[in-house]
Formats: sequence, structure tokens, C-alpha cells
Amino acid sequence: MNSRIFKKLLSLAVVSFVFVSTLTSCGSNQGNSADGVKVKLIMTDTKDAFRKNLSDNIKEQASSQGVNLTMVNTGDDVDKQAKEVRKAKSEGYKAIILRLSDAETALQMNVASNGLPIIYVNTQPNDEHLSDSEYIYVGSKEQDAGKYQADYVYKKLNNPSSFNAIIFEGEKGHSGTIGRTSAVKKFFRQKNVSVNYVFMDYANWTSEEAKAKFNTFMKTKQSVDAIFCNNDTMAIGAVEALKENGLDPKKIPVCGVDASKEGCQSIVDGDMSFTVLQDAETQAEMAVKCASLLGKGKSIKDVKYATDDGKYIWVPFKPVDSSNASQYK
Amino acid sequence: MQKEKKKTRKIRTKLLTYIVPIVVLMIAILVGVSTELSKKELTKMATSQLESSITNQSDNIESWMNDLLTYFSSVKNTIENGPKEQEIIQRTLDANYKFNKNAPDGLYIGGSDGSYMEASQLKSKSFDPTTREWYKQGLTRVEMAFGPVYKAVDGKPVISATGILNDGSDVVKVIGADVSIDKISVIVNSGVKMDHASSTLIDISDSNKIIADRDTSRLSKQISESDSNKLYSGIAKALNKGNLSTQNIASYIVSFREISGTDLVLVSYVKQSVILAPVTNLARILILLGIVSVLIIIVLVVLVVNRVVAPISVITKHIKSMSDGDFTIDVDIDSNDEIGDMGGRIHEFVDSMRDMIHSINSESMKLREESDNSDSVSRSMFNASKAQGEAMKQLNETVDQLAEAVNEIASDATTLAQIVTDTRDNSEKADASMKETVLISKKGIEDMRHLSIAMDEIQKANSNLVNSINDVGKASEEITNIVSLIHEIAEETNLLSLNASIEAARAGEAGRGFAVVASEIGNLANTSASNAKNISDLIAQVHRLIENAVNEADVSAKSIEENGKLIEVAVSTFDQIYNNIQESHSSMEKMVKNVEKVDEVATNVAAISEEQAASAEEILATSNNMVEQAENITQSSQDVADNSHELANTSETLTDYVHRFKI
Repeated sequence: MNSRIFKKLLSLAVVSFVFVSTLTSCGSNQGNSADGVKVKLIMTDTKDAFRKNLSDNIKEQASSQGVNLTMVNTGDDVDKQAKEVRKAKSEGYKAIILRLSDAETALQMNVASNGLPIIYVNTQPNDEHLSDSEYIYVGSKEQDAGKYQADYVYKKLNNPSSFNAIIFEGEKGHSGTIGRTSAVKKFFRQKNVSVNYVFMDYANWTSEEAKAKFNTFMKTKQSVDAIFCNNDTMAIGAVEALKENGLDPKKIPVCGVDASKEGCQSIVDGDMSFTVLQDAETQAEMAVKCASLLGKGKSIKDVKYATDDGKYIWVPFKPVDSSNASQYK
Repeated sequence: MQKEKKKTRKIRTKLLTYIVPIVVLMIAILVGVSTELSKKELTKMATSQLESSITNQSDNIESWMNDLLTYFSSVKNTIENGPKEQEIIQRTLDANYKFNKNAPDGLYIGGSDGSYMEASQLKSKSFDPTTREWYKQGLTRVEMAFGPVYKAVDGKPVISATGILNDGSDVVKVIGADVSIDKISVIVNSGVKMDHASSTLIDISDSNKIIADRDTSRLSKQISESDSNKLYSGIAKALNKGNLSTQNIASYIVSFREISGTDLVLVSYVKQSVILAPVTNLARILILLGIVSVLIIIVLVVLVVNRVVAPISVITKHIKSMSDGDFTIDVDIDSNDEIGDMGGRIHEFVDSMRDMIHSINSESMKLREESDNSDSVSRSMFNASKAQGEAMKQLNETVDQLAEAVNEIASDATTLAQIVTDTRDNSEKADASMKETVLISKKGIEDMRHLSIAMDEIQKANSNLVNSINDVGKASEEITNIVSLIHEIAEETNLLSLNASIEAARAGEAGRGFAVVASEIGNLANTSASNAKNISDLIAQVHRLIENAVNEADVSAKSIEENGKLIEVAVSTFDQIYNNIQESHSSMEKMVKNVEKVDEVATNVAAISEEQAASAEEILATSNNMVEQAENITQSSQDVADNSHELANTSETLTDYVHRFKI
């Protein structure tokens, strides 16, 4: 009796295996025939060094991976973005790589895509608006950037129990702003370091604002031991402000994020102390790879750096200091 | 019946022991899986509901804060970009007094030089603003933002939106506005968009101080990882670790949201048991349903088994009856399944068995009759053969007697022959005497003188002659007797042979040989009878001749007597005498011839008798053989009778056996 049941189960297993493998092979056949996926890249702009770097890399990766890529610049216009997303399907695109002008509009874009998969880059949407192998985010964990900065400063200041810090934040509400800033605070909170944030304000990614805010800070006549900036541009402004106020950026470490050319140059010049490389090349590679996969209706779970929930591709940051800055100039 | 019942119970028990555990297991799995799935699903739903609730709450807090910040910032912007005269700034501050109900006191400005401006309606005592918490907070930024919650001078928890007032002067001024946290408390405590869920607002920059919580005793108190409440200690642990993903803490689902632009973390939690209450209920219902369905299945199984097994037990009963030899059963099962088929087959089997037994029965009856018949036939045959044997014995005895008689005849014939021989001798003697008489008579004629003496001698010789002739007569009478005896015997033999022929005919093939012998015997007996008749005829002739001779002798004697007396007459009559003697002599010669014939016949008879005797011996031997054979036949017929009896017994047994089947 048992053996009969076992045989039945076995045959069932074999049948379902054959069935499933037939389906799978069909799927893969379809995938192969659909090579050269048509992908739409929607960028806000390429004014920012990183975004330029990223879009250039995406184009390069598309041609090397055999993906048929078209790029559209929309500026910060959400409606324009939504329009581009909406018509992508009828234009025959199989996937969209999208840099949101506003992270909050992700849901609108998801709906507008009409079922086309969207690979979000640079601007991280809220987790609830991402879904497995459909609406995904390719980027670097903003928290990691802040953590690397905090770790660097912590070591630089020889594991202080307390110190004064300035944080120049990017845009208010931007995922990079929130993630990077909170990661710095979290790092020290967990190290039980009492950090006195003597100044913490938005400088909206610009060096001018950072400089102005630093000058305002100088008026408060407080001292500062380290400056954390959410990006390199602001860090360069901070360095300039330090210098203008007669302070030595070598003594007061200024940290940025992005490892932009200017940032790395600043490090090489001994002005900025530290930055974090947001690996535009790898992010671009992953974004194109995912666009190709999702365009073929496949899962991204086997892609390198993919999270278990299939929503994220976390391309790791690389810490950059004086030891390696010259590589990224 | 007991066994049958036991068997029935066994099938049911077997089925139940197979089915019930499987069903129970399956239902358990079903309940388990569905419970687990709905638990998962519900947890998922609850989690997303909790997350959407907390998102809504944090959005509300954020938008509330942002609204205020926008408001404050616009006032700040107005001051920064407007005329820098004190009165105008004062007027602006006054104008914002009670303008926003969340910040009824409006904005105030404190400078590093100790200057302080506020809405004139407040009329506070003057103080050094640089010592105040809000001032310190405001120094850290230009863009107005909310700092951590702190206790105001009056001891009430307050949250201030502050920032450096960039009025272009060298004096650092901080502009701020106090906001009551009551509104936040309302959002935190009442803005939960999920039943049974609760929220708490925690300031993580201030060692996890609780800003808002339904439990007012916890307000403004820090929660630590060593909190007696496991939920709060767990929350503290998660906050310290910086793990703000939704998680399970102490049987609660807990969700975290950072309020952007602040160090506040909103925590929402809901008890799992509350979420899973429907699942527990569902599980309870499912288990109940499972138990009910198990019971139904048990009942169904019992019913179905009874239904299915009932015909089987009927069939079993029928098979039992069949094994007891009862084929009167009527298997009538109207189910259309295998059991029905089985019943049908058994029905066919019973029918064919019934037919078969029926024919066996009739055959055995026939056999019995036939064996009875053959028994009686063998019995009668036995009797017949026995009778035949006896008849044979009798025949044997008869033949024996016949043989004896024939022997006797033979000896008699021999005796007769002897006597005849003697008679012949005597006749020859008589003849010789006659011749002597003739001679003497011739001499008498010559010797008349010696007549008297001679006369005496003649007289003597004559009386001798008479005696001899009498002897002959006696002997011939005796012969007559013997012959008549032979005749009788022959008759009897003939009769016996007739009988024997009949019996032989009755004995059939076995008696055929005997019949031949018997007819031979009959023939012989007839021959004997006819010979005996011949003899008696001859003897009668002899007898007559003897009587004649005697008469002649008497006449001679008288003549001699007369001669004696009438010697004279004698001489005259001598010639006559001589003639008479001459005549006597010729008679004598005739007689001698007849006697010779008799002798011949007697010899013949003796030979025949001897032959007869030999035949009788043969017959005897044959009849002995026949007796033996008849005995054998009797024995065989006895055996046949025994066998047929045995056969009869066997057929009776067979009939008995067959009768044991009821058809």
C-alpha cells in the first residue's frame, strides 16, 4: 500500500516536474527571443555630477548589455514624468528606469506605468510603494553612507566620548538627506558618544548654502570638531567656509558623500577628509541588468546585491579618503 | 454467526482504523494549514494596517509640524526681510499672538545680547533668553525646526520650533515659538487608524523619552531596556539598536516611524492575540467542523460498511448453508457493485449445483434401483445356481445310481450270459443226451431186451432233461426279470436324461455340454430298453420253446411210462418214439440254436452294458465336473450377490449422501 502511494506521489512529482520544466523552458525561450529589451530611461536632469555620471553609465551599460535604451529628461516636473511613464507601454518599452523628481510620487508612477516594471534609481521611494520584481530600487543604502562618515570621524577623533558636530543636510525630505543624517546620529547614539550637534541645517546640496549656513553658525560662537555633509558639494562649501573663517579643515574633518571628482580632488588637496563613493557604474550596471530581466518578465532575486524581498538592489558604497581618493578623481 | 459478526466488526474497525486517523490527520493538517495561513495572512494584513496607520499618524504629525514650521518660517521670513525697526517687529509678534491655536503665544525672539521680544499681550517678566533651552536649540540652525521636547519654565512639557533669525545684525538672535504637545498627543493617542492598536511617541535624542502615550504616567519618562514592561523594554532595545523595521515584541506587532526632521519616533503596536482572535475563532470553528465531519465520516463509514457488508454476510450465510449442503437458498442481491456480481455468481453457482445434485440424485436413485435389481437378480441367480447345483447333485446321484444300475445290468447280463452259456452247455448236453437217446433208442430198438433197464435209464435221463429244461425255464424267467429291470432302469434313465436335458437347457450355456451328454444318456437308455425288449422277446420265445420242450419231455415221459408198461406197445410205437425223439432232437437243435442266439444277445447285452457302464462312468465324471462347476457358479453367484449387495449398499450410501443436499 505504502509503495503504491509512494509510486503515485513519485509519478505525480515527475509529472509536475516535467510540466513545470516545460513551462520554465517555454518562459526562457520567450525570454531569449525578446532579447534587446526596449528600455526607457527617465531622468530629471544631469546637472548633478552623480546623476550625470549615473545616466552616462546607464547608457554605456545598455549598449554593452544589448539593451535598446532611450533617455528622456523631464526636469522636476512630476506631471511630465508621469506622462512619460504612462506612454512608455504604448511606445513598446518593456521596462522603465526612473529617477523620481519627488520620492513621494512613486505610487503615481507605479499606477501610470500600466504594469511596466520600473527600476527606480537615485531617488528612493517609500518601501510600501515597491514590490517584488516589479517596482524596484537600485541604489546604495543611504544609511551606509552616513555610517561610513560617522565611523571615519569617530576614528579620526580618537573615539571621543563627546564632541561638537555640524551636519549640512541636503534637500528637506530627500531620502539621501534623511538616511545619511539619521545614520550619523544613530552611529554615535549606539556608540554612546554624546554628540553636540551645534549646527544642523539643510544646505540643499549646494556649496553656497553650506558656506552661508556655516558663516551663520560662526556667529553663534560655538566650536565644532567635525562637519558631516550629505554630499561632496556641500562639503566643499564647508571647507571653503572653514578656510574663510580661519579654521583648519585638516583639524576639523569635513565629510561628504558621492566621491565626486571635485570631492576626491578636495581630498587629494587635503581639504575634505572623507567621502563615500556612490558607485554609479555598478548602480548603472545593475539598473540596466534589472531592466533587462524585468522586461523579460523574470525575477531579480538572483541578481547580485538583491534583497530577499526582491525590492532592492543595494550597491555598496565605497569609503574614500586620502588613501584612495586619487583613483576616483 | 458469532464469527460472522466478529468478521463484520473487523471490516468496519479496520476501515475506521485506516480512515479515521487519516481523516483526523488530514483535518488536523487542513485546520493547521488554514489556521497558519490565515494567521500569516491576518498578521500580514494587520502589519500592513498597522503600518498604514502609523504612516498616517506620522504623516499627520509631520504635516502638522510642517504646517506650523511653514507658518513660523513665513513669520521669520517676514521679519528677516522686512523693516528692522523694533516696533514693526513687535507689531508682527503681537499680530501673531493667538493667531494659531497650536502656538497661541506666537513667536518670540531672544538675542545673544540678552534682548528678548515677545507678543506684548503676554507680559512676561524679563529674563535672559540665552539660558533658555529653546535658545540653545535655535542656535543650531537657521531653518526653523522642532527640537527635542523639554520642560518649560512652568514645568509643562513643550516643544519649540526655533532657528537663527538672520536679520543681518551682528547679534545672534533666535526666533522661536512654543507649541503645546497636546495636539501631538491627540494625534498619537486618538489618531490610531487601527482597532486595538496603540501608539507612543518617543524622542530618541533624549534617551527614549516618551512624549505622548495613552498611559499618562509614562509621559516625559524615559524607557530603558530594563523596563518592567516587556513591550517597552523591547521597544527600547529596538530603538537603541536602530532596528526600526516592523517586528514582533513580547506578543505585540510593533511598527516604528521616524518623524522626519525630528528625532521623534512614533511607535505603534497591537497585540497579536487581538489580531489573531478571529483566527483562534476560525480554528475553533474548524476544529469543531473537523470533529463533526470525523463523526459524520465514522457514521458514514459504519453505515456504508454495514450496507456493503450486509450482502456479504448474506452471501456468507448462504455459503455456510451451501457448505452444510443446503442448496435451497436463494441468493438475491440487487446491488450493482462487485458484491452484487458476487451474489449473482453465487446464485448461478447454486443453480448449477442444484441442477447437478439433482441429476446426481436421480442418477444415484437409478443406480440404487439398478443395484437393487441386480442384487435380487444375483440373489435369484444364486438361488437358481444353488438349485441347479442341487439338481446337479441329484443328477449326479441319479447318474451314480444309473451307473450302478448299468453296472448291475452289466453283471446281470454277464450272469445272463453265463447262464445262457450254461443253458447252451446244458442244451448241448441235452442235444448230446438227445443224440445219445437217439443212439440209445436205436440201441433200444436193437436192445429191446435191455429195454427195462434202458427204460429206467431213459426215465432217469428224461427226468434229468425235464429238470434241466425247468432250470432253463427258471433261468429264462430270471432273465425276463432282469430284462424287465433293465427296461425299467432304461426308462428311468431316459426320464432322468430328459430331466437333465431340461435342467441343462435351463442352465443355459453352462449346461449345453451336459445337455449333449444327457441326450446321449437318453439315447443309450433307449437303446438299452429296446435291447432289453429284444432280450425279453427272445426270452419269451425261449420260454415258449422250453415249455414246448417240457411238454415234449412230459409227453416223452408219459410215452416212456406208457412204454414201460406197454413194452409191447413200445416196440410198435418204438418207431413213433424214435420219430418223436427225432422231432425232439430237431426241436432241441432249434432250441440250441435259439440258445446260441440268446447267448449271442446276452453277450451283446453284456458288452452294451459294459459300454453303458463305461458311459455312465463318463457321465458320472462329467456330472461330477458339472457339480463342481455348479458349485463354482454358486460360489460366483454368491460373490456376485455379495458384490451386488455391496453395490446396493454403496448406492444407498451415495443416495444418502446426495439426500443430504437440500435442493
